Amino acid sequence: MKINIEDVKYIAKLAKLQFDEKEAAVLAMEFEDILKHFDNLQNENCDGEPVESAKADTFLRSDRVSVYENKKELFQNARAMRDGYLEIPKVIE
Amino acid sequence: MKFEDMSIQDILKGYREKNFSAREVTQSYIEKISKYDSDVNAFISINEDGAIRAADRIDNKIAKGEDIGLLGGIPVALKDNISTRGLKTTCASKILENYIPPYDATIVKKLNDSGAIIIGKTNMDEFAMGSSTENSAYKKTRNPWNLECVPGGSSGGSAAAVAAGFAPLAIGSDTGGSIRQPASFCGIVGLKPTYGLVSRFGLIAFASSLDQMGPLTKNVKDCALSLQAIQGEDKMDSTSYKGTITENYVENIDEGISGLKIGVPKEFFQNGINNEIYESVYNSIRLLEKLGATVEEFSFPATESGLSAYYIISSAEASSNLARYDGIRYGHRTDEYESIEDLIVKTRTEGFGQEVKRRIMLGTYVLSSGYYDAYYKKAMELKNKINLTFKDALSKYDILLSPTSPILPFPIGEKTANPLEMYLSDIYTVNINIAGLPAISIPCGFSSSRLPIGLHLIGNHFQEKKLLQAAFSLEQELGLDSRIPKF
Repeated sequence: MKINIEDVKYIAKLAKLQFDEKEAAVLAMEFEDILKHFDNLQNENCDGEPVESAKADTFLRSDRVSVYENKKELFQNARAMRDGYLEIPKVIE
Repeated sequence: MKFEDMSIQDILKGYREKNFSAREVTQSYIEKISKYDSDVNAFISINEDGAIRAADRIDNKIAKGEDIGLLGGIPVALKDNISTRGLKTTCASKILENYIPPYDATIVKKLNDSGAIIIGKTNMDEFAMGSSTENSAYKKTRNPWNLECVPGGSSGGSAAAVAAGFAPLAIGSDTGGSIRQPASFCGIVGLKPTYGLVSRFGLIAFASSLDQMGPLTKNVKDCALSLQAIQGEDKMDSTSYKGTITENYVENIDEGISGLKIGVPKEFFQNGINNEIYESVYNSIRLLEKLGATVEEFSFPATESGLSAYYIISSAEASSNLARYDGIRYGHRTDEYESIEDLIVKTRTEGFGQEVKRRIMLGTYVLSSGYYDAYYKKAMELKNKINLTFKDALSKYDILLSPTSPILPFPIGEKTANPLEMYLSDIYTVNINIAGLPAISIPCGFSSSRLPIGLHLIGNHFQEKKLLQAAFSLEQELGLDSRIPKF
């Protein structure tokens, strides 16, 4: 076994997700299958292959602040606003 | 001819000759959708009022003799992961159930500027993760060729919309085959452009290094025209290509393919390919030879390991991209929670579907301490090797050819219990995203059960013109019936 229910729960914690015992058992089984397939990577000789990072031909726009005029539209998906700020649930007692 | 059977070119010709108005065309499509989409489930939302208003604007322009644009008066269906200002954009997820983007994606701006009419937003696998459109939180799209079968995915709603005659043009996104495989399953044309050719600004991210948007159409010429309208540099997308690009793909599309060198990766015709698909693709190979192309086999050994690399890289990127859904600023928020941690965990657990959670978990796992080297790093090294294999092949051949999918459209529900089996259906398409190459799927025949079969042509970076010319030649020679199916 590459992965057990405890592993699933640990990864879930990192991913901010929650699974009950039954779901975690199913996931562990599915991961077992998928990771077994991933083992075919180990047959590839990739010695000396560089790992590509950001491409040289990408470009960035200048980091300039501009005012977004339509605030109402911008915040239309927020639950609540107060004094121009997003109102979020109280998290500190 | 009915509007639903018309190609984009037919509709544009009708406008030029003043045979009908944009309002008539748009209304006819909307009527067809309201009558028949309950059978197909291609759409998540319809933009009826907006579409009619846009059609009237086009008709005004026509009346004044003004230029209506490259896609003037053409209804377009957009996959529901493409941001549309003021129009709900859900990614087929509960977590974005009521999300209304405050801005348009660049591709939407470009479509609007070219006169296209947004008719609705199409169903998809949640966050584009899937190959059957069964992972939508809202509905299961059905294949217009056989309502018991899946339309493919993840752009299944877009492909089904075109195949069913709900729109002459749809836009999809393709991270590992999500335009090409549903195009193949639904018997239409679907193009994944070179990475960087079409701006991703406003496409809700799945795997940023692999995602690319492209057109789904009835025929190759429509596809070429649509690509012209949506491509181009964009300062809002740092990966957008800033070199010189082909401006006109329609011109000389009928140039023919005499002398074209085509390479066929032999590993794509081995284990697990459906026999009827094999026969149908070989029939096309013989036609291409008849048209003057030379066809040769070559070896692409990393076929299966490429699939592993794809699922590792895409899941890793997804786990990071989807970390933004925390229930704080927008999207679903759980009702009951005890702490901020609890709020985030419950929101995400309720808001994401099973497959999305599976990919986030997989991505988190391959990036986690102790597994990074064995999985993510190895996959990235293989990515480089895959790039070199394609580079070598495309120095010898102009175009590469394979089936789009090893399997025919399958019955709804058949593969949902086995995620690995579903992943394996992407085996011919994922490597192309890893290498950032352009590729097109065109219909090349039907199975004995009257299900469409797709053929996959792959070109070199930014060689869409050559790709479309080859696809056009084959399409003309095949002369398949392009009428929409009865369902």
